[in-house]
Amino acid sequence: MKTAWIIMQKEIKENILTPKGVLWYMLTSTILSILSYLFLTNSELSLLDQGQMLYMIMNFISVLGVLIGIVFGTDALAGEIERGTIEALFLSPLKKNELITGKLGATIANWGIIFTISLPYLFVVGKGAQNLLVGVIYLAIIGMLLTIIFSAFSMGLSARIKSMKNSLIISFFMFLLSGSPIFLSAAMRKTWFGSIFDIINPFADAINTFDSVVIDSQGFNYQASRIAIICSYTLLSLWFLRRSVSKLEM
Amino acid sequence: MIISVENLVKKYDGYTVLDGLNFGVEEGDIFGFLGPNGAGKTTTIRILTCIIKPDSGKITINGYDIFKHPMEVKKIINALPESNGYYEWMTAREYLEFFAKLYGEEPSRQKIDGLLEAVGLHEKEGHIIRGYSRGMKQRLGIARALINNPKILFLDEPTNGLDPNGRRDIHDLLIDLNKKHGTTIFLSTHLLDDVERLCNRIAIINYGKIVWAGEAKKGAIEDIFFMATKEGKL
Amino acid sequence: MRKIILILSIIVLTVEIMVKCVFAANNIAVSIDAPSTKANMGDKITYTGTITNNSGKALNNIIAYISLVNITPGKESPMDLEDWSANKAIKIDTIQPYSTYEAKWPMRLIDSGNYVVYITVVNKNDNIPVTSTMSHLEIKRILRLNPNNVLPVAIGEPLLIGILFIFVVLRKREKVK
Repeated sequence: MKTAWIIMQKEIKENILTPKGVLWYMLTSTILSILSYLFLTNSELSLLDQGQMLYMIMNFISVLGVLIGIVFGTDALAGEIERGTIEALFLSPLKKNELITGKLGATIANWGIIFTISLPYLFVVGKGAQNLLVGVIYLAIIGMLLTIIFSAFSMGLSARIKSMKNSLIISFFMFLLSGSPIFLSAAMRKTWFGSIFDIINPFADAINTFDSVVIDSQGFNYQASRIAIICSYTLLSLWFLRRSVSKLEM
Repeated sequence: MIISVENLVKKYDGYTVLDGLNFGVEEGDIFGFLGPNGAGKTTTIRILTCIIKPDSGKITINGYDIFKHPMEVKKIINALPESNGYYEWMTAREYLEFFAKLYGEEPSRQKIDGLLEAVGLHEKEGHIIRGYSRGMKQRLGIARALINNPKILFLDEPTNGLDPNGRRDIHDLLIDLNKKHGTTIFLSTHLLDDVERLCNRIAIINYGKIVWAGEAKKGAIEDIFFMATKEGKL
Repeated sequence: MRKIILILSIIVLTVEIMVKCVFAANNIAVSIDAPSTKANMGDKITYTGTITNNSGKALNNIIAYISLVNITPGKESPMDLEDWSANKAIKIDTIQPYSTYEAKWPMRLIDSGNYVVYITVVNKNDNIPVTSTMSHLEIKRILRLNPNNVLPVAIGEPLLIGILFIFVVLRKREKVK
């Protein structure tokens, strides 16, 4: 695992501690600033109580984490192949599992940074909401699992397709498909198909969990089945990644 | 033999790249591996360095079966591939330190300095690789290939992009490595001058088969190469 | 003669409708607790409706729902309760003869103003719905969040990260040189 840590450090230096990386975080912070101020100054939005605002911002933060995770994921292997740097890595006594563990670790570190940036906004917008603290904890964990799901999937895809552009496009489509419930009305989601899609979709499970915890004050037992589905998807995406990388050859 | 290759076969999409390759390399050799474009040289090196797997065949390196013990093999070999990419945001020092850590070594300043000096990059060590010329990158690649003091060094066109002075420096470095440290060098190149100067034994590959193997007789290599590759086998 | 028959028919029809109204009204009685309430924006209150079966027959498949009407001058309109309350309509399978049923409607008060709240009961077998009296609801507007409280974070955080960005760029330029 020591080599995985070395890879993770390199990824963090390459993607996070760079002008490009910091710029992403500046943009994240700017978007959250605009959103928070809009919530509190727009007369219609301010009718929502803090619970609603908190729930909406939590969804947005999850989306941000997943999007950047997808970009990390598609670059992880296809980017190394396209830049010609992967051969030197494969020459070294570095196991493929260690390589992907290191890269996934960097993606999780990125989520950690986005979550940390979001904390002040969560506390300011959600101030007074009765489920603020528990909501923040759920966001930390479920946001991380969602990031792992989508970045592991896009990493696996990048190992199979070996093209960053194509794996990015497919990953975005998968994300849009998964995120589509949030654009549908409540009535549409209550049809038999919408209900099934809602249940098996990890993104929908995540936002429904946030709704249930923050707005409806439901306990962990109520979320257990949804969290189980999210965890299953996490394991599935990690399995897909591992399998894709095991077949990876120059 | 430090490298033994028996009946190596590799196919890509039905096309046979290596068609029952057989050869051996003695410890301490500077072994020239020659062949025309598309003969299978790079594929052979990739298989020997455990980057890709063949369809069949047996390969032992330093007594290890490379399919059963790839990690043990990787610890004692290193290579400079023909198309080697670099982490261009790193400096030369950072690049070498990163790879040293991958080989399980704590990179001492002294060791990195020594490597950079050996390849003529000690004055540019703090500059990021993006600003390096092709020749400088090639030198850095060689330095990386030496980071773990390999017992066997695979080089695929190592003097690519180097000016005559640079080529001479690399030749001297390789001869030095071989004589002082006993490093076995597996050299794949088109430059017959390099082969003449460096190699004591050569093998010529064409259409996935060894068409000639033996001592590298000075002055005769060019003739041997053209004869072997023109007619398929000498 | 014809005129007399016509007048008599109208009288009989009217009496029949009135009797039905009275009968329906007498069958079911609905009341809402608290004749009037004062609360603040953001508060959660619960209305309790009591539905009484005044007849000797069991009442089946009753639907009861709560309504909210804004009576603030200039803003008169019925309210969409989606953001106000989780439950709106309650279905009651059976109310036994001469029995009562209590239903609760929790409500989140999301906007200030003057409102009236009432409960309506619908029996599929009757033509006329039955409503409770109106409960007055006065919701005071209180500012829970001062938008200016978010300014230090909204401006400060991007600024801090921006400073970090400049620092990283300068550090990178030094490396390039």
